[in-house]
Amino acid sequence: MKTMSVITPRRRRNIGIALTKKTGLVFVLPALVLFAVFIFYPLMTALSYSFYNWTGIVRGEFASFGNYVTLFTQLPYKTQIPNAFVHNVMLFAGAMLFQNTIGLGLATLLHRLKRFKRFFQTMFTLPYLVSPLVVGYLWSLMLSPLFGPVNFVLKSVGLDALAQPWLGNPSTAIWVVVFVTAWQWVGFPVLLYGAALGGIPEEINEAASLDGASPWQRFRDVTFPMLIPAIGTVSVLTFIGAMEAFPIPYALGGSMGSPAGATDVLSLLFYRTAFESGSSNAIGTSSAIATLLFLFIFGVSIFITWFMRRAERRLY
Amino acid sequence: MRLRFLALGAFAIGSAVLLSACAPSASTAPAPDAKDDVTLKVWSWRTEDVEKYNKIFDVYEAAHPGVTVQFEAFQNTEYNQILTTGLAGSDGPDIPMVRAYGQLQPNIAAGQLEPIDGLVEGLEGIAPSVLAGAVGKEDGKTYAVPLATQTLQMFYNKDIFEQNDLSVPTTWSEFIELNDTLVTKEITPMALGAKDSWILPIFADIVGSAMYGGSAFETKVLDGSTTFEDPDYVASLQIVDDMQAYMTPDVVGVSYTDSQIQFTSGQAAQFPGGSFEIATFATQAPDLNIGSYQVPVPPNAVSDVPLSAGYADGNFAINSKSEKKDAAFELLNWLATPEFGQLVADELNQFSAIPGVTYANAAMQEAWDNYEQAQAPYLLLVDFRYGEPLGTAVLGEQIQKIFLGQTDAAGAAASLQTGVSQWFTPGK
Repeated sequence: MKTMSVITPRRRRNIGIALTKKTGLVFVLPALVLFAVFIFYPLMTALSYSFYNWTGIVRGEFASFGNYVTLFTQLPYKTQIPNAFVHNVMLFAGAMLFQNTIGLGLATLLHRLKRFKRFFQTMFTLPYLVSPLVVGYLWSLMLSPLFGPVNFVLKSVGLDALAQPWLGNPSTAIWVVVFVTAWQWVGFPVLLYGAALGGIPEEINEAASLDGASPWQRFRDVTFPMLIPAIGTVSVLTFIGAMEAFPIPYALGGSMGSPAGATDVLSLLFYRTAFESGSSNAIGTSSAIATLLFLFIFGVSIFITWFMRRAERRLY
Repeated sequence: MRLRFLALGAFAIGSAVLLSACAPSASTAPAPDAKDDVTLKVWSWRTEDVEKYNKIFDVYEAAHPGVTVQFEAFQNTEYNQILTTGLAGSDGPDIPMVRAYGQLQPNIAAGQLEPIDGLVEGLEGIAPSVLAGAVGKEDGKTYAVPLATQTLQMFYNKDIFEQNDLSVPTTWSEFIELNDTLVTKEITPMALGAKDSWILPIFADIVGSAMYGGSAFETKVLDGSTTFEDPDYVASLQIVDDMQAYMTPDVVGVSYTDSQIQFTSGQAAQFPGGSFEIATFATQAPDLNIGSYQVPVPPNAVSDVPLSAGYADGNFAINSKSEKKDAAFELLNWLATPEFGQLVADELNQFSAIPGVTYANAAMQEAWDNYEQAQAPYLLLVDFRYGEPLGTAVLGEQIQKIFLGQTDAAGAAASLQTGVSQWFTPGK
């Protein structure tokens, strides 16, 4: 008994110190090294590259903000950047609308479901497990005006007017991109909202109904406020996903954002500039695009997170 | 104590990983081989042709004892990056396959390639518009031996023509009549993948090169005596607009791959495209009986004869860092001989850039004969891909807009002129 009382405090002290300082550092180090090599170093490299003029891969003179000025004063950037940016915003707005209405609706329905809950959860999440590039190419095949089954079905049921060249018409093409992106990712908010709904204690809802709250009042005043953290997470991730969107727009509209730039997004513009332009200053200009894109995503993500935290604090 | 040791060890390993990732790879390349025993590294983006190239270089090795040609191919879409890295390092190729025209300039500007003027024989016989693809824009020096030529023509399904009593048109009215007949017989006259904008400037030159005058227009637009807003060039784009009547409705929704299937499955009678399609058609539909013709001269055209646009597709150059330049130059000289040219034709099914080559494949010989009759440059690729925005990219998007009714021929020509004016100075 005496021995135990001597050993226990020593052990505890040892473990405590090690986990908070040195051992902790050792555990963090591998991740830190990977982060430094694969995230931080390329990020800093791109930032520094954007301030130089390049000839192929040979770094030329210091260009200051020259490459950034090019983006807003020279063709094709000065017309393509605003065009692509608007499409990124449409992608974000569409995805938010889809995920926070249909995604939340599905999650609520599944939450009430007693049987087959797992089955449906898996079904909704399935497209999310497939590579977005594959999803994009599959949809472009399905929507082909020549061989696509979508228009074939529409025509065979007498809906000829709806049998559009979906990806060939600029007014529908970007919405196809929005739809396919939302279709693929809807399983994610379903899972996230499902978990958040599961985390709301039953008693609160029961108490509310005992107090005479209608189902809508219960959702608005009890469930919804408790979902705010999940909505915040979904919003930030949706924003990052929409601003970085590449594989689905690439598979549906090609690197040029066909037709006539109607599906162009910022990542496609970056890809074209870096790898397809053949411009000798491709590294400088594309690094400037990448840096601006990063700063924008980073800044707005921080803002959304701050805004959502404030909303949470107000509600509780 | 043990913990400190552990932390130190982890830090050392971490630092080593970090350093090895940042540092250039250590030179593990062996010292230059003895004079009699040389291994030359050849790089290419033709992953599908590795066996064929090995067979071709076997011929060279047999005639040059002691020389081994090591052919390595990389993914086409990633080749530019791989080559850029390879040429910057010490273990790159001795003879890299390089792009042509504007796409070659970054490598030249970076001093990665060796000038070859006066050191390679047989360049004088190569068509000027093709050799231009291997020349540095700034210094006018030649840096590579052109590998292949592509020509742009109208391919057609011989069986469909035969079944419907149709013949190859020789005048513009016959051309229009042919397409009208196909429409009445409910056969799509032309398969075009207008969703992929890169094919559209190709189409524009197939139907419109004779209208604006091919090489003669090239000279004038380069010296500044005319621009793309020239009425003849606008008229050539008007032809592009008019041709939409002979394509699938809503052609901007049709992808390039879909258009190939449309043609090879017999749903469309003609396919305006490059000679690179011949090999694809042969693989996709071995029984497809194809022919090709030059689109006849439209009324009021500048050229009196039909024209076939062409361009150089790929070159072989010498890495300026190669330590085996003598052997590399010997191989490069061989790559400019009719012997290699014939192997390109026979083994690779490509049009060699070297004159005097014959083609066993009938469709290839026919397309080549057409090209030999009257050539023109594929203008926007040959001369207007030296700056941003690329001429081909601007016109591709503008033709999509023409098809969508968002602009007209004059508007498209004006946009093309505005786009290229950003970097192109006439007379330079």
